[in-house]
Amino acid sequence: MRIWQTGAMWFEPEGATWTYADRRLIPARLGSLALPALVLIAGATVLGLLVGGWAWTPLVVVVIGVAWTAYVLVRQVGAHAWSEREDDLIVKRGRLFKTVTVVPYGRMQYVEVQAGPIARSLGIARVQLHTASPGTDASLSGVPTDEAARLRDRLTSQGEAKLAGL
Amino acid sequence: MTSTAPTVHAAPRDWTRLHPVSPFLGGWSVIAAVGAYWFINNAPAWAGGMGDDDGTFHPGIIVLAAVAVVGALFVIGGGFLSWRMRTYRITDAAVELRKGILFRQFMQARLDRLQAVDVVQPLVARIFGFAALRVEVAGGEGSTVALEYLRLADAEALRNEILVLAAGLRAERPTPDAAAGSEPALAPAPSLRDVIPGQDVGVPQFAAAAERDVLQVPLGRLIASIVLSGPVLALAVVPIAWLIAVLAFGRDVQEILIAFVGGSVAAALPLLFAFVGVIWGRLSTGFGFVAGISADGVRLRHGLLETRRQTVPPGRVQAVRLRQTLLWRRKDWWRLTVNVAGYQVDQTASVSTLLPVGTRADALTALWLVLPDLGDPDPEGTVSRAMSGVGTDGGFVASPRESRWFDPWQWKHRGVRATETALLIRRGLFVRELMVVPHERTQSIGLSQGPLQRAAGLANVELHSTPGPVTPVAHHLALRDAFALVEEQAARARRSRRTQSSEQWMATVAPSLDDVLAADDLTVAPDALTTETPVVPGAEQA
Repeated sequence: MRIWQTGAMWFEPEGATWTYADRRLIPARLGSLALPALVLIAGATVLGLLVGGWAWTPLVVVVIGVAWTAYVLVRQVGAHAWSEREDDLIVKRGRLFKTVTVVPYGRMQYVEVQAGPIARSLGIARVQLHTASPGTDASLSGVPTDEAARLRDRLTSQGEAKLAGL
Repeated sequence: MTSTAPTVHAAPRDWTRLHPVSPFLGGWSVIAAVGAYWFINNAPAWAGGMGDDDGTFHPGIIVLAAVAVVGALFVIGGGFLSWRMRTYRITDAAVELRKGILFRQFMQARLDRLQAVDVVQPLVARIFGFAALRVEVAGGEGSTVALEYLRLADAEALRNEILVLAAGLRAERPTPDAAAGSEPALAPAPSLRDVIPGQDVGVPQFAAAAERDVLQVPLGRLIASIVLSGPVLALAVVPIAWLIAVLAFGRDVQEILIAFVGGSVAAALPLLFAFVGVIWGRLSTGFGFVAGISADGVRLRHGLLETRRQTVPPGRVQAVRLRQTLLWRRKDWWRLTVNVAGYQVDQTASVSTLLPVGTRADALTALWLVLPDLGDPDPEGTVSRAMSGVGTDGGFVASPRESRWFDPWQWKHRGVRATETALLIRRGLFVRELMVVPHERTQSIGLSQGPLQRAAGLANVELHSTPGPVTPVAHHLALRDAFALVEEQAARARRSRRTQSSEQWMATVAPSLDDVLAADDLTVAPDALTTETPVVPGAEQA
């Protein structure tokens, strides 16, 4: 009960206007889930057909697992957002395990744009920010392709303007 | 060869080969490896080998010796080729290295990105008076420009010149204005070279910056600190437990134990080796440890067989950790570890130690070496309280009572506090730890919360630092404190980045440095003098 009360309260930084991940990220994520899910379901079904009876339980478990994972994936997309502030970029993600990363523009070493085949066909991309720290987990998933290019240019120019020594 | 004359210890401006003895210094490892292989296979069982002790002569030795010689020749031959193809030079802005036989590689270490310069002498190189120079820049894995090997005096001359160029001083002490630009003001090196007359034998063209030793670790304390450490205790506990068991239960138990131990010796050996390795590492890197300060930055000298002389400009230290295990508490000893960008993660044990063991006063001094300005009216008192405080002692924001579910033992000891220039993170009941991160070195800030933490209204705040042994995380803060910390830390880091830049570190340290260097017992670092370099036969033909 208390979980949901405090769960509503989360980091709302000053001057942050959130841009949420594009909904097309949902089919992209589900698409990459589909293949392993199908293999698992097929395997469990064959097992059930061959043995019968109690051997159907793996199928039930697999189906519940896949459904839960899909639900989590969809919910995660709704929680993934970023905000470009004056001096830093804020990325938030996750519902069960929430994280927020604040990346100052002056700390960015380079910006990377990636798009796999599924994402490309859906017209979205992933923008990854790199600092000198491997701990910086700042990537923006589900950015529309043209917006990703603009974002990359904007971040790069901001980074150059504010670049600080290590 | 386009080298400078053998007697002049100067940094080459033209492409120059490393010392021709280099391949031979590397060839030893093959002979050692084959020797170890032979030992493992043929040494009697009591010595840890797998062979049987029948006392006969093994003809296989000859074959192995031949393999060793051929292997060594092969490696030396390859090493010779790779030496032929490997050239380096220094420019006003970078150290450059070209290497590779089939695939050519060009490496450039930009001096304005310089993080540390180490003069390393492995045992064999040390015996013959050679050294490797490792120039560390912040470029991640494989970005180190390693010059293996040079004559010690050449290595030091090169190091001195690199530091002169990187700091942009020596010719005249820079005014804060002159150093304020984003690019360091480079010393007019060519003209400086012209000014120096004669170029005497054995004298580096640029003398090492005057240095004052600030901290030393006495051998007795180092050994005591190693004895009072986990691995040694683990090694000591086994025979003692055995003895107690035998005394208490008689000989039957002893036989059972012998059978048991006999069976598990193979499994225990790697663990044993790991313990011995850790102990050896502590001893060999802490041996003769001296920390000093110079105009070039913090100087660390240490090593038993392999010696290492590190120079780290203070602005390059990304995070510091002060650590005290339970066994050290009675003596109030602390160990300081640092993150320096550029130091490779696989060698952190030997390069990232700022102080292997020291008293509280030593620890405070060592912290001052790398963070001269803690931005606090009473830095010593604040850090001292931070080292051994509980709850809100010393102005800390403590973890709230709810965090006891996650952290039943040390929740009272967790806390965070910001000074003007650095963030202090404290933790630890049994193992006390204090992490200090300068604001301007914060890379990015992370806030995280799991479902159970959410139920308790807690969150973690992590300051992302460059790769290294220190991971500054403040666990289980109250939500309100965590949110405030993220916001404030972002603002503080932003302010500090504007006023601080690692290129102008001299400007911020200079006043206190002058005081230090003006003290009576000012010495030139012994490592600047290489009068006893033994002459290797054949080295002159270079």
